[in-house]
Amino acid sequence: MSFAAAMRYRFMKDLGAPALMAARRAMRKKRPSRPDPLFGPPLKSLARLKEIMMRHYFLARYAPGAHPVAWVTSGAPVELLRVFGFYTFYPENHGAMCGAAHMAPELCQAAEDHGYSQDLCSYARCDLGHYFTGKSPAGQLPKPDLLFASNNICQTVTYWFKALAHYYDIPLILFDTPFNFDQITESDLRYMAGQLEEMITPLQRISGVKFDQAKFLASLELGRATSETWGQVLQTMRHRPSPLTIFDTFFHMAPVVSLRGLPVAYDYYQTLLEELRDRVARGIGAVKLERKRLMWDNIAMWYKVRDFSNLFAEHGMNFVVATYTNAWAETIQYLDPDDPFRSLAKTYSLVILNNNLDHRLSLMERLIADYQVDGLVIHSARSCKPYSVGQYDLKRLLMERLAIPSVVIEADITDSRAYSEEQTRTRLEAFFEALED
Amino acid sequence: MSLFAGIDIGSLSTEAVIIDQQAAMVAAVILPTEAHSTKAAETALEAALEQAGARRPELARIVATGYGRVSVPFAHKAVTEITCHGAGAHHLFPGTGTVIDIGGQDSKVIRLGPGGKVVDFTMNDKCAAGTGRFLEVMAAKLGAGLDELGPLSRAARREVAISSVCTVFAESEVVSLVARNEPREDIIRGLHRAIVNRVWSMVRAVGVEGQVTMTGGVAKNSGVVELLEEKVGQPINVYREPQIVGALGAALLARDQARALG
Amino acid sequence: MTRKEYLQHQKTQRHRRVVGVLPALFPREILWAADAVPAEVWDPPLAVSRAGAHLQPYICSVVRQSLELILSGGADLVDALLFPHTCDSIQNMASVVHDYCGLDTPCLFFYHPKAPYTQHSRVYYRDQLQALLERLQELFGPAEPGALTAAVEMGQRMYRRLGEMYARRAGGNLGLGNEEFYRVLRRGEYLHPEDFIAELDQVLGRPAPAAAPPGPAVILSGVVPNPPGLLSQLDRLGVAVAHDDLLMGSRRIPSRLPAEGDPLDRLTESYFSLPPCSTRSNSLARRAAYLGQLVEQTGAAGVIFLIVKFCEPEYFDLPNLVEELKARGVPSLVLDTETNQPYDGRMATRVEAFIEMIG
Ligand SMILES: Nc1ncnc2c1ncn2[C@@H]1O[C@H](COP(=O)(O)OP(=O)(O)OP(=O)(O)O)[C@@H](O)[C@H]1O
Ligand code: SF4
Ligand code: SF4
Ligand SMILES: [Mg+2]
Repeated sequence: MSFAAAMRYRFMKDLGAPALMAARRAMRKKRPSRPDPLFGPPLKSLARLKEIMMRHYFLARYAPGAHPVAWVTSGAPVELLRVFGFYTFYPENHGAMCGAAHMAPELCQAAEDHGYSQDLCSYARCDLGHYFTGKSPAGQLPKPDLLFASNNICQTVTYWFKALAHYYDIPLILFDTPFNFDQITESDLRYMAGQLEEMITPLQRISGVKFDQAKFLASLELGRATSETWGQVLQTMRHRPSPLTIFDTFFHMAPVVSLRGLPVAYDYYQTLLEELRDRVARGIGAVKLERKRLMWDNIAMWYKVRDFSNLFAEHGMNFVVATYTNAWAETIQYLDPDDPFRSLAKTYSLVILNNNLDHRLSLMERLIADYQVDGLVIHSARSCKPYSVGQYDLKRLLMERLAIPSVVIEADITDSRAYSEEQTRTRLEAFFEALED
Repeated sequence: MSLFAGIDIGSLSTEAVIIDQQAAMVAAVILPTEAHSTKAAETALEAALEQAGARRPELARIVATGYGRVSVPFAHKAVTEITCHGAGAHHLFPGTGTVIDIGGQDSKVIRLGPGGKVVDFTMNDKCAAGTGRFLEVMAAKLGAGLDELGPLSRAARREVAISSVCTVFAESEVVSLVARNEPREDIIRGLHRAIVNRVWSMVRAVGVEGQVTMTGGVAKNSGVVELLEEKVGQPINVYREPQIVGALGAALLARDQARALG
Repeated sequence: MTRKEYLQHQKTQRHRRVVGVLPALFPREILWAADAVPAEVWDPPLAVSRAGAHLQPYICSVVRQSLELILSGGADLVDALLFPHTCDSIQNMASVVHDYCGLDTPCLFFYHPKAPYTQHSRVYYRDQLQALLERLQELFGPAEPGALTAAVEMGQRMYRRLGEMYARRAGGNLGLGNEEFYRVLRRGEYLHPEDFIAELDQVLGRPAPAAAPPGPAVILSGVVPNPPGLLSQLDRLGVAVAHDDLLMGSRRIPSRLPAEGDPLDRLTESYFSLPPCSTRSNSLARRAAYLGQLVEQTGAAGVIFLIVKFCEPEYFDLPNLVEELKARGVPSLVLDTETNQPYDGRMATRVEAFIEMIG
């Protein structure tokens, strides 16, 4: 790593970023806040969240040269990378950002112009579109030295990252996690733990940093504590009224996804948890009128979060749980510092998308009971086959077993061109009517 | 005197062109294809002969092209419209490197090498968005005639974004735009933009080189041509009767083949 | 005998088990060792009605049609179903069948390690072979001693003949048209290897043709050589398919066939010598090199990609492969297909125009 780049990064981290944040704070103070007719008062933590994420993207510009940069998939065991001081960047998180900023159609189109089919995952298309055009809502992305992927969420990321490996001409490390069809076997665990141990050598070479067991354990512990606290944050939503909506958590999840294993993420959730517990104690709900409680299945529709948030709140409905946000808390109990590699393998391979559909059904049944859910909104996401195939059966089975009304929305995570407002409206209105009687 | 004929039986229109030894056009007709390809070819050829004041035996060779090319029993050879539009465009505009043919059911982008030889091409996928048919459906929804589309689009003051990529979705989107009283001109320009974006992906795939020539019925739509020119960043050649370029190419190939055969 | 009659005959007369297998890469030898005949399901000719209740419209036709077959009684004929871990769609469809469809048929899953490979990949692959054999024995009873080695030998005999068939075709002295070549090849998707090898021997025993087809030669890449109408049109145009990079074709023919040793080691060695494939997530560089090599060795004038609509693994590699070929001056044609779609005018126009271009 270059000395000049390292100095610049330090400078930006110590002075540049705080200055930027202060400027933002000053700007924000000028805006008067009015009480909202639909929602409870905004969370104080929200400002902190914005700061953290902005700082993360801001520093990304100065990271190359100062730190080894890794592009990482959302389900990869990033705790291992922390030991080597990688600056980590999450293309999926960036994809979500492109969706929320309504930039996805343009970036997807750019990827399509280069021959990528419009039927491919739109996170991948946004990212490739960025590669071809240099455009991004985040300004400038840090050029990667390493690609670090795990197929515990989908095979798509392996195809996508291998294209990136080709374009950037850099190494790709894959953590291959056998799909849990029936049960995970001793041989599966040996295979996965073996891969994790074997990664150390190339990671040392790429980063120029030596592996340090104590650091690794500390990073695991921090990751574990972060996921656990994230789980507790979600659990506050079991209360009536819920102090959060799922639409809030779509944003609050950013640190656990992309800053896991760093102190800043853990500290953030501690603060957030405290604030939420206080709200629960005072009976403050995120939605003023919470008549019905809903569950969301699949990834968010990033270009619709705000609209949906208003629409459902207008109907006195609040989403209190999602299989999606839950994924970063679900398997953390498997982590065991006495057996770090094998337990890490277990934690990462048993996540919802690498697990059979029987598991998913029981998980959803449990969440429906724990969170007192009245209805279910199923987002059938064109982008995401592992999340979406099986949803029609889930809908049917949950109806049969729990008589819970549900609706399927055919749409996409970021590509609004695959979404029909008219069609969705009609379906949602029918769903609202079903929930009322 | 020997003459050469080219017949292009498209999904919507059928064209017949007759040329002489010097490649001068002596007749050109355009008719709707309707339900029967063979009959359409026959009728178009008869009309062209009449226009040329010639009789059937004077035709030394006939090449058929377009969808119905295999249903022309009296043709000496069938050649695809890709090759024929390429040959026709090269003849009319010898500097042409890229041909964009947007017909009723298909759009094609063709890259030409030296001598007008096809070196690469691409066609739209199954979906009808990005073809003339899509525009016809939308024009009908908006109560506009086909030849009004260009002028209306160019008169638009704004442009409504059509977000859907699919014809079915786009149709319902147009319905709701109309319901919201969006001006017809603006919607039409938005539709043209959607088509152009589609076609642009295809142009990108084969690349732009030299002059760009547009053929097929949609080239008559000045709204589409204008937006495409914007994208390409250079003026686009359009022959005064762009629908006959394929048939002209077929006639030229008939002449070449007759020569090669001696 | 139809495919169904043949399989029934295998059950009742030869007392073998039949295992329905989904695409694509699976260890046939392990099934043979358990005295089971694999019946591969790629493109059953069925109109989809039931599968639509389980699958979204954006799922590929291979998965859609296979599920239709399973749900409409296809599972009754088989003693078990085997789902290799080919892609996300098959993975989830396997789970839908296993967990949600209430079938009595046992469902087996076969995970194969994904590239980039590490030293653990081979060990794991071998473990998976072992586990599958054990599971089959639990279901069907113990295998005969020596059955596994015999199956490995049989597999090698089959691969040698397939290799010869491909090599002779590439050299223009096989004497099978394109349509016939793939008809023969695809019989291997359900014939017991003894019967299949006999058929291959018969084909290989025919005299070499007098003259090669007049037109340019092409390479096919993709999943299955569908629609068959495409192959017969190429025959009519005098175009020979000189080689393929098809998932059901050459991507399943290993280049190393170790002569001796532990049978599972031999299978593992062979598996890791397979040509590069999107479903094993081999690198783009390897895939491009393989295609380039096929073109060079056969002197083919172009490559036709037959992409199954919505096939994520194939779609992802496509732009780079097209690009790499272009850089080498090799034109290619991409066709979006559904496994059972008729060969229509749209496709015919593209194929003919492509042949006019490269001819
Ligand atoms: N006067 C016009 N003004 C604008 N557009 C027109 C006009 N006439 C025809 N078109 C457009 O041209 C299209 C038909 O083009 P063309 O006649 O080239 O099709 P084709 O050759 O029959 O079809 P294909 O090549 O797809 O088989 C129509 O769908 C329409 O959109
Ligand atoms: S959206 Fe689905 S397919 Fe795309 S990267 Fe995420 S998990 Fe994979
Ligand atoms: S065609 Fe592609 S998506 Fe479909 S089953 Fe085969 S590999 Fe999977
Ligand atoms: Mg035409």
